[in-house]
Amino acid sequence: MSDPIAREDAEEAPRRRFELDDQGFDEVPAKYRRFYRHWKGPGDALGANEVVCPVCKIVIRSTRELRSGDRLYCMACMTRLRVREGEAGRLEADCEY
Amino acid sequence: MGDERGVEEVHDLDPREFFERVHSFESWFHSVEGYLTGTEYGHRPRLGERPLPPAERERLITVLCNYCVGETAALEGASGLVGFAPNRPTKVFLSTQVVDEGRHLEVLLHRLGELGVVDPEAEVERRANPAIREFRRRLLELVASKDWEAALFAQNVVLEAMEFTVFQSHARSADPVTAEVLAGIVKDERRHIGFGENELGRRLRESPHRRARLSEVKRDLDALVLDTFEETLRELGLPASERPDLGRTYLAAVARLGFGR
Repeated sequence: MSDPIAREDAEEAPRRRFELDDQGFDEVPAKYRRFYRHWKGPGDALGANEVVCPVCKIVIRSTRELRSGDRLYCMACMTRLRVREGEAGRLEADCEY
Repeated sequence: MGDERGVEEVHDLDPREFFERVHSFESWFHSVEGYLTGTEYGHRPRLGERPLPPAERERLITVLCNYCVGETAALEGASGLVGFAPNRPTKVFLSTQVVDEGRHLEVLLHRLGELGVVDPEAEVERRANPAIREFRRRLLELVASKDWEAALFAQNVVLEAMEFTVFQSHARSADPVTAEVLAGIVKDERRHIGFGENELGRRLRESPHRRARLSEVKRDLDALVLDTFEETLRELGLPASERPDLGRTYLAAVARLGFGR
């Protein structure tokens, strides 16, 4: 997550931090596994630090609360993404080729 | 940036470093070892085999024969693409895809043997759907003509996206051994569809005029793959209401790349 965090200033509420645990996602090298988990379908409630990868439909996780404009990486499908606020206010991500 | 136990925040990687890592053989190796270690021919060795009723076994054999043609096409296609891939990272990534596709073909043929097929390769020749054979022929023509974008589109977007959807759906209803074999293949397919979409996305961003050529390829090929996998879902006996929207992953990918239906 690059620029938005660098620009974060006192006007914005500080971001919550998250301890990530390994949830058994075994498709990336071990040291990256805690940043990903399987999506359990439409009833799966995403945390403030999570978005679904639009390409391969896994959940991407961050140690920080996500905000519009943040950069994320999906290592499972090799995609670079940019976070944005979706129609229902939920955070979504777009591919950045 | 971190040690073997963990990294502070993967999303802080520089984009160039991320690109290098995910295309590397090193990353591929440490990814597949997570889900292939301890398996034999794509499944845990002592996973219980449930005898299938004869009609169900017959249908499964036909479906696996079609999968074998798709995987053979991808194996031949990916290995041909290595020769004219535009740079070193894409060549290295494609070398890992060649290994993946070779493994897929091998585990599917082995599964046919486990189901009692005496000569799996002859059975594939006998049963495979003409549409998927035709797709294979056309894909290899694109590879032979060294048409990078068109061949990559046909293989890593059209074929892989539909396999991704069908294999996931089939794994949910299959016997435990077949389900585990397919689940392992799907994990590989995630990399393949992502590689195809991202590589084409970059190429189209730099040269938007290439979109017209890919629209022709799309028009030419997607029905062949769609027909094959629609038939596969019928063979599997899934009621229409429970069949996945086969085109969903594929159409979402082509929409992100800027193509209409």
